[in-house]
Amino acid sequence: MVDAITRSMRASHVLVAVLVAGSLAFAGVGVAINDTFYLRLATEALIFAGLALSVDILLGYTGLLSLGQALFFGLGAYLSATVLMVVPSFWAAMGATAIASALAGLVGGFIVQRVRGVYFALITFGMAQVAAKIVYNTRALGASDGLIGVPVININLGVVSLSSASPAGFFLFVLALIVVFYAFAAYLLDTPFGRLLIALRANESRIPFLGYRTSSARLAAYVIAAMIAALSGALYPMLRGFVSPELLFFATSGNAVITVVTGGAGTLVGALYGGLLLTVLKSVVGSYTEHHLIVIGLLFMGAVVFLPKGLMGIVRPAIERLLARGRTP
Amino acid sequence: MSAAVEYFQYVLAPQMLIGLVLGVAVILVALGLTIIFGLLDVINMSHGEFYALGAFIALALASIGLPYWLLLALVPLLMLPIGYVVERGLIQRVFHSRDRHVTTLLLTFGLGLVLEDAYRLVFGPNPYKPETPISGGVELFGIFIPSYRLFLIVIGAAIIAAVAFVVYRTRLGAMVRAAAYDRHMAASLGVPVQHVYAGAFAFGVALAGLAGVLLAPIYTVFPTMGRDFILMAFTVVIVGGMGSIAGVVVAGLLLSQVQAIVSLYISPVWSEPIVFGIMVAMLMVRPQGLFNRLGHG
Repeated sequence: MVDAITRSMRASHVLVAVLVAGSLAFAGVGVAINDTFYLRLATEALIFAGLALSVDILLGYTGLLSLGQALFFGLGAYLSATVLMVVPSFWAAMGATAIASALAGLVGGFIVQRVRGVYFALITFGMAQVAAKIVYNTRALGASDGLIGVPVININLGVVSLSSASPAGFFLFVLALIVVFYAFAAYLLDTPFGRLLIALRANESRIPFLGYRTSSARLAAYVIAAMIAALSGALYPMLRGFVSPELLFFATSGNAVITVVTGGAGTLVGALYGGLLLTVLKSVVGSYTEHHLIVIGLLFMGAVVFLPKGLMGIVRPAIERLLARGRTP
Repeated sequence: MSAAVEYFQYVLAPQMLIGLVLGVAVILVALGLTIIFGLLDVINMSHGEFYALGAFIALALASIGLPYWLLLALVPLLMLPIGYVVERGLIQRVFHSRDRHVTTLLLTFGLGLVLEDAYRLVFGPNPYKPETPISGGVELFGIFIPSYRLFLIVIGAAIIAAVAFVVYRTRLGAMVRAAAYDRHMAASLGVPVQHVYAGAFAFGVALAGLAGVLLAPIYTVFPTMGRDFILMAFTVVIVGGMGSIAGVVVAGLLLSQVQAIVSLYISPVWSEPIVFGIMVAMLMVRPQGLFNRLGHG
């Protein structure tokens, strides 16, 4: 079935392809000039874009604003760091994170299942605060210092092996993973399950009359978002070699929300471009003044007031028109 | 027996007094938050920054020589037009969108970021410690208490009583409650709903500013001062019942006592997770909180 949402998502796919092409060129230039700093910065931007993607699945589709997605991002980061310090294996870290975050997502999902709307935002916020305070005060998890000394690992991809210390190699690897997350989310939301989530947002009380259960759909969306956030977080210690409790703080969740809303909620690709834009802004504005929060805050407020669909609300319809013209000459 | 009395006098009671000061402080901030939610359905994420704004305005005015007691009246009055303009010029722009809860929350969150960074720009990142206007202390029932904290408890109680009086016993309060209960019905009965909304927002913001002036001598003034405090205020509002004035008072006293007494037995760093845990549990079991919303029964 090809409807308006499918057509919009096709435009999103084109925009992701553009982003990938740009990233490949960026990596090429990075290797040519032997850069480390910008490649690592871009890798970090992609990791946080993965977190933003998980926020968009909840906000853009089910209409649930999570103010505590850092909970799962931090879970992934801490678990991955712990696993890597014992067994320096990429797949062990990612596997453990996937299982743990699915379980944590289920538990968290049952808790948040009970509330709607604004209370959902507050309960996710509260849960993340509790977790952040616990980690911050637990000696075994490094307390306020975090965990340092995560070893450099070799990622075994069957045919080739890749070191997490190689700036361009790890950048491309993270890019590939984030694109996989995007593709997975986009595929899932194009299935009848995805349409159910959109219907949830539009009118939740009408859905049971159509014969669907709302609770299981909401729970599934929450668990998937939790897993994507955690798996993105698991990449963080591989890049930076440490984790700190800041990853669990509200600023992390808040930044992800800013990313999604500025980029465009409900577009998925908006999370990726939003992350890119915010990182560029932070480093460009940050090189002139340390008060980049004013600029980002104003931009964000502008997006909330004037661009309900964010930047993608401007860009994507243009791509859609181009695609439509290509099909009917 | 005497051991129990001594335990109470020297351990428990001072701790409970510290809790009471914190409780009154939190209630003052939470009152504005709950009125704004009760009336406008808006979660004001920038409330902590308005609390800080009050403290910074007081700081700036004190530096040109205005006395503290004048500031106590002047700062809330200066905050009123600021709040009014924010509501009319900003909140109303997204007030009628489909996801009002989410958009207004996001907008005020962005406003909070901008304000916080603006304070850092103007005043620098370092904390200021204003002089305590009343020095010394008094002994009350054998417990020593700094005079300013005693003053804070008294004036805090007076402000809470005044707010409750205005909301529940005056014509203005009746209009506010009517607008909270059914805005269209209130409008058709001649209540100027637009002005009531903006006025309530301004009033809530002014209360936060007043709390900022009152608490500055105790907690010092710095750009992120609103951030830590607002978490506790949110918890109080949620546990008490979003949009309930009685709820804020009860939950504020209760939670601050929990935090104070828990700190006696386990490390104080764990008192915060416990309080937030209570908030999450409350949201699970009874999301509407202990008490009913403003204007609702």
